[in-house]
Amino acid sequence: MNTKLEEIDGKYMVTLEGEMDTAAAHEAEAVLKPLYKSDGKDVIIDCINLTYLSSGGLRILLTILKGAKASNSKVVMRGASDEIKKIFQLTGLISYFDFE
Amino acid sequence: MTTYLFNNIFLWGLSIDAWITIATVMAVIGVMLFTKVRTDAIMLIAIGVLFALGVLDAKEMCSGFSAGTVVVTGVLGVVMAGLRYTGVLQWMLKHVFGLPDRYPTALLRMMVPVSMLSAFLSNTMLTMLFSNVLKRWSRKLNIAPSKLYLPMMYAVQMGGVLTLIGTSTNIIVADYYGTATGKTMNMFSILVPGALCLFVGILFIIAVRRWLPDRKSPEEAFETAFDYTVELRVPSDNPNICKTLGEAGLFHVKGGNLIDIHHFDHDPSVLSEDEFIMGGDRLLYTGQIDEILELKETHNLVVSDHHVRSMNEINKNYELRIAFVNFYSKLIGKTIGDSSIERDNNMVLVAVARRGRRIEAPPREVELQAGDTLLFECPRKTNTYAKHLTSQLQFSDFQEVVKIGPNAIVSSLIMTAMMILTALNVVSLLHGTVLAALAMLLFRCCTINQAMDSVSWRSLMSLAGSIVLGTAIAKTGIAQMVALTVVDLVGTQPILVMLGVCLAAMLITQIVENVAVTAMFAPIMYQAAMQVGYEPAPFLLALMIAANASYATPIAASPNMLVYGPGGYRFTDYMRIGIPLTIIVTITGVAAVILAYPLVKL
Repeated sequence: MNTKLEEIDGKYMVTLEGEMDTAAAHEAEAVLKPLYKSDGKDVIIDCINLTYLSSGGLRILLTILKGAKASNSKVVMRGASDEIKKIFQLTGLISYFDFE
Repeated sequence: MTTYLFNNIFLWGLSIDAWITIATVMAVIGVMLFTKVRTDAIMLIAIGVLFALGVLDAKEMCSGFSAGTVVVTGVLGVVMAGLRYTGVLQWMLKHVFGLPDRYPTALLRMMVPVSMLSAFLSNTMLTMLFSNVLKRWSRKLNIAPSKLYLPMMYAVQMGGVLTLIGTSTNIIVADYYGTATGKTMNMFSILVPGALCLFVGILFIIAVRRWLPDRKSPEEAFETAFDYTVELRVPSDNPNICKTLGEAGLFHVKGGNLIDIHHFDHDPSVLSEDEFIMGGDRLLYTGQIDEILELKETHNLVVSDHHVRSMNEINKNYELRIAFVNFYSKLIGKTIGDSSIERDNNMVLVAVARRGRRIEAPPREVELQAGDTLLFECPRKTNTYAKHLTSQLQFSDFQEVVKIGPNAIVSSLIMTAMMILTALNVVSLLHGTVLAALAMLLFRCCTINQAMDSVSWRSLMSLAGSIVLGTAIAKTGIAQMVALTVVDLVGTQPILVMLGVCLAAMLITQIVENVAVTAMFAPIMYQAAMQVGYEPAPFLLALMIAANASYATPIAASPNMLVYGPGGYRFTDYMRIGIPLTIIVTITGVAAVILAYPLVKL
């Protein structure tokens, strides 16, 4: 599992690659924690190469979303596969994120 | 000479066969006490062992199955089916209880008719029927069911002693007397002592009514007497998704606590107010059932099932039903999740309660115990009286709908004729019951299937096995040896001998099924009477009362077990009233037998 956080053109770019299971979610959280308190910039999450998302991973995304909402910014999921979208559907979270 | 010495020194005067029998009887008692193996199986294995080791021959081993006691008990089941399915019993129950305004009056109004019916009908069946009647009656009277179920059970037990057919134990004793002496006992031989015991017993229960626990029924107040665990699921369209437990008001809830949360992937999650809610989550609560179940409405949650259903599917065709785990249920030691009972009956387990102990686990994963109270969500049309369900669970809100028609009169006439003809010795008890059963079928008071379902085959097997054990006890000289020991201990004073054997039977019947105790003690009492040279009939009548006085524990007899769950009782509740009641009834019974039947020297 690879997690990368960059700031490009006034937006945060997050890249998630591989399987985000419980253990991987802990590692990812260490990288993504700065996004928990939003500074008003939108967050783009690139999940083209993300193959699995555990509840631990969703918890991180939901915390980022909560922070973003508080500052009226957006969280966009980019390139999510059908499998990943299915997890969002099953958990009823699909309508809370923007998908590109 | 060597054999004589060996027998006297090493075997205490008993044969090897006798010692095998003693070991078998001890094993039977031990297994009954400390395991959940079904009684009929224990009995059949015991007689199998006695046969295999040569204690019993083939004829003796089979004797129990052809004994008059077993046949009469089985055939009486058919007679009872006739009375039940023509609505006679229901009519009587509806019209005799009334609505008394005082608790002592209520006890009297209930116990007298119950005991009268029990004089002629199966104790177990009556207890089952009355359990359902009492629930509604207690609500109408605003009296806690725990104040009524034990007195009802005691009335059933005491009433059973009034006639020879009132309980299997009486039939066993009468049958043994007939076999041993060639004489027959009249159906009402035990009436006078039995009635006196009943009178004293009812007075005693009314006098000590405050000793009866005052607990709200599980149906009325799940929450006060019981702690339930409820699992609720979050459907994928729930509006609280994306909120935290704290924000959604699902962390601190009225009347209970959230004790666990499982997300869709079962990954461990820390239980905190800040945990996010996702579709498919399983939330586990403990506490007051009705308030927790309100979350279904207020927070759009559903009762946990194998899959998440939308709220619209729930409540339309389903209702909540309460069931108690039977003492001999196959569910004991298992979880509902392990059994197919939910799947087979389209029911969903919502909650589990066990008195005095909080079950902090998902309901479907709780290892069940006898007396556990289960709350099911069932389709409205579930037949909770179906045999495959009643063998496992005792549904408390089952109400049998029987139409009362002209056949009610026919079945009543058949029953009355049976009682009169057998009481006047016009026909034997066996003939009387067989004729009555045939008449019930002939006049269509019940169907063949209803008749067959009314016969408790398991009880019949236990009964047959108990009788064979009794045969072994008599044959191997144990009965004589015990009788001699009693005479050695208390002397040849017949009343003391009678009391001594009764006391032993009374003690053992508190922990072992009374049928088995009676079968074992009938030959002992008979031998004791013979040792002191008195006519054995009064001695055996006294034994009927003592062996039936199984009031002090929930495991002593089937009716005791049946009221355990519905009454919300604890083991000690039985002892508080049961111990003094047992002593009072036994002493009264022995005294009444001696007064009614003066002891005659042979």
